[in-house]
Amino acid sequence: RIKQLLFLFSPSGKLVQIEYALAAVAAGAPAVGIKAKDGVVLATEKKHKSILVEEHSIIKVEMITDHIGMVYSGMGPDYRLLVRQARKVAQQYFRTYLEPIPTTQLVQRLAAIMQEYTQSGGVRPFGVSLLICGWDTDRPYLFQCDPSGAYFPWKATAMGKNFINGKTFLEKRYNEDLELDDAVHTAILTLKESFEGQMSSDNIEIGICNSRGFRRLTPAEVQDYLANIA
Amino acid sequence: MSLEVMSSPDYMRDPRKHHFYPYADNGGTSVAIAGDDFVMIASDTRLSRGFNIFSRDQGKVFGLTPTTMMASSGCWADVLTLNKVLQARLTMYSHEHHDQMSTTAVAQLLSTMLYWRRFFPYYVSNILAGIDEEGKGVVYHYDPVGHMEKLTFSATGASVSQIQPLLDNQIGGLNMLDVQPPKMTKELARQLIHDAFVSAAERDINTGDGILIHTITKDGKTEETVKLRRD
Repeated sequence: RIKQLLFLFSPSGKLVQIEYALAAVAAGAPAVGIKAKDGVVLATEKKHKSILVEEHSIIKVEMITDHIGMVYSGMGPDYRLLVRQARKVAQQYFRTYLEPIPTTQLVQRLAAIMQEYTQSGGVRPFGVSLLICGWDTDRPYLFQCDPSGAYFPWKATAMGKNFINGKTFLEKRYNEDLELDDAVHTAILTLKESFEGQMSSDNIEIGICNSRGFRRLTPAEVQDYLANIA
Repeated sequence: MSLEVMSSPDYMRDPRKHHFYPYADNGGTSVAIAGDDFVMIASDTRLSRGFNIFSRDQGKVFGLTPTTMMASSGCWADVLTLNKVLQARLTMYSHEHHDQMSTTAVAQLLSTMLYWRRFFPYYVSNILAGIDEEGKGVVYHYDPVGHMEKLTFSATGASVSQIQPLLDNQIGGLNMLDVQPPKMTKELARQLIHDAFVSAAERDINTGDGILIHTITKDGKTEETVKLRRD
């Protein structure tokens, strides 16, 4: 029997730690990203385990620069590290070129960092998949970064619990002519597919990115969108 | 650098000390002037050391991108190396970005590259000239450790003390009462550059032999050669 060393390939050609990391992601809270003609939306479920949790102190949809935002599925602490590193990368880029980092460049550099953790001693892969949205060169971008360091450009995608159903839902609902408003609406509906209980502005988080940059929706704005669904 | 020390033979210096000084001054002067839709950058073509001339035909302006050029003078070894490393960075950027670097990005990159060597500087005086994202001409002036200033005109190098005040007066309208500086055109810029170098060549031994004038617009680059006195 071949000993399965964590950093070596298994006989089937997989790296088991990465497979397990992907399992951690698939068990995490659902996250959705949709690209519209004039922007991108990121949305995630923010269920707290107890009514004693102060919901608005936890932020999952984070800004990396004025024009780039990020959300995750998987392990929160790992995500926090990547947010810090993404922000640092963006500032270093700006320091060198005096230009905001293009979304594609940020994704490539962040994915390279994630890959390092699959091929270095004494570390484990990150237990998160990231959804990164951005706006530059007059167009929207949406990317997913996996624990392996692979990254994918998406028009729309879902991650975390029930992601297969989420993607199926999006395949039916997505079209290239969506405006940002419609995309937010569709994102909420996608989250709803796997949501247990009543959705409110306290237990979901939404961020949008358009020509004016990235920002999180206020609870009031989220409430408006939710009202349109009920 | 003291001329006496540089030109005295080894055996006449203190025999107990081996003195290696890493820098040399190879002369060279550059000027750049920006207009609304063009920029002109010029340098003399003399390469020298002390009273010796190494070349009468060494231009000091390097092309970086279709819209950006750089003039560098000072220690020629450092000029060549800085240019080589900068070209490599430009190539790497275009590989990663599938696009050329913008003039502002090159300007900032040069500044950081120079400061990286803060404690063993590139002995180089730089001027960067290019067309910015809006199509306007722009000039950046640097010191050897990367201090960067965005300007509409600038001189640097051996004859900077002779040429910069001339430009300040003629383009910047400095030290004159009730005088509006003229709108910058290619003809005016070329004439100013010509006159500035001719005057500098009269007084400075390190400047002379010829001028290479490059003009950059969004449509491309042109080059012109002018002769200068060779004494």
